[in-house]
Amino acid sequence: MKFQLKRLYFQLLLFFTTNLGAIGLKTGFCYPFFYCQACPAATSACPLRALENSIYKQSFEWRFFVYPLLIIGFFGISTGRAICGWACPIGFLQRGTGRIARKVKRHTIAQKLGTHRMEKYFRYTKYFMLIVFVFLTSLLIGFIFTDICPVGMLVGTFPILLLNPGKFVPNYFFPVALIIFILFIILIFLIERGWCRYFCPVGALLAPFNKVSMLYIKVHTEECLHCNICSNVCPMAIDVPNMHRDPECILCGKCVNACPQKQITYEKV
Amino acid sequence: MKKQILLQITALVVVSGLFVGMLVAANAYEETKARIVEVLCLSCIKLEPKTIQEFTFDTANNAPHPYFVTENLTKGPVFLHYSEDVCAGCEIMFPIVKQIFNIEFEKQDMFSKTIAYGNANITYIYINLDHTINILEESFPLYDKDDIGGLPMFTLVTLGYDHGIVRPYYATLYGTLNVPTDAERIVLLQEILTEGIEMYQQNKAGYHPH
Repeated sequence: MKFQLKRLYFQLLLFFTTNLGAIGLKTGFCYPFFYCQACPAATSACPLRALENSIYKQSFEWRFFVYPLLIIGFFGISTGRAICGWACPIGFLQRGTGRIARKVKRHTIAQKLGTHRMEKYFRYTKYFMLIVFVFLTSLLIGFIFTDICPVGMLVGTFPILLLNPGKFVPNYFFPVALIIFILFIILIFLIERGWCRYFCPVGALLAPFNKVSMLYIKVHTEECLHCNICSNVCPMAIDVPNMHRDPECILCGKCVNACPQKQITYEKV
Repeated sequence: MKKQILLQITALVVVSGLFVGMLVAANAYEETKARIVEVLCLSCIKLEPKTIQEFTFDTANNAPHPYFVTENLTKGPVFLHYSEDVCAGCEIMFPIVKQIFNIEFEKQDMFSKTIAYGNANITYIYINLDHTINILEESFPLYDKDDIGGLPMFTLVTLGYDHGIVRPYYATLYGTLNVPTDAERIVLLQEILTEGIEMYQQNKAGYHPH
């Protein structure tokens, strides 16, 4: 079976596992990826919600702070950011929109923007989102991130409105959240894995673990032809031949499959 | 290389050990389930339940009204205020309710008081689901008539005449009541309290809790 097909089946399996709440299974775990507990079918809690709860308006609930970090830490140490490439339903969604994004990528303007020297700095936005919108606003003002989160809109708001017609009305954050959601949809159609690259706060939590994870992708540079096929197929637009445990790598394995010299491999410690 | 492997395995063992410890000793699993997964986060969905001031006799799951409600109904209508620690809507509604009843207490307290309101006594019961006892917590799904599962939630239990029998009759309101200002929220709550008191006065003579 082709490797990417295996990944597709795994993502499908994880998508159904994530949504076992549809048959009544509700657990007390946190997801190690981005998914909203407000989804009617969700089985577990969003790690960001638990983190927000832990420091809400200067109260400190240490259990909600440590618990999601331990779950993310476990998967981070084991597999790094493979969670993003293999398990996250939002990553799965972006795999679907990636086909269009890859076509857009061929456009001259997109190529110029994609190779702009500022692009790599823009990737730090997700760390900013994590620190400012998840931690600081929860600590000082209250929930801001959950109020405008496009993933909550996608998997929570719309299914609830569809399943409960006439039972809910929009709150005052709804218009802002709707605009952000539309921008999110445009983003994932224009830039492959745009959400993971630039904005995902859970990705920001998982990314540093790529430096120390037991599973990682290795480029055997001594026999590399520098044909750049690996970089072209990389959904995270990483400069693969020059990467070493890159925090952006989601271990999807596309570069492993694409390398004509078979010089890119998964490595386990 | 060996040093790195050792560090990775140590880190994994420590994280796993702490995780199991949190599950066993710190009750993290149950707390997450009860306080995050099972309560609908209204701020996550950017929606508010549509508030309809409609009284009804049957509880949401058709269970009998709890004892603490039926007993307090002998004194007057009962106002149940459901809340939790971390909840944006609860923050908005908490001072409003305190202002209406002219009472003072903290968000994490367990609080109840019989208050003279208009020409009746209203028993006000504050139920913070994060700091309460089972009997009060178990009343939450009973009065969640639209099966919302979100907070804050307000239930006024009064008396109504049902085919020859006087029975507890209640209305439940949700969230920030679908109105934009505190003044409108106060008016809405006062309206429903007045309506509840009128019904109570009309039916109290026929009420026998047991």
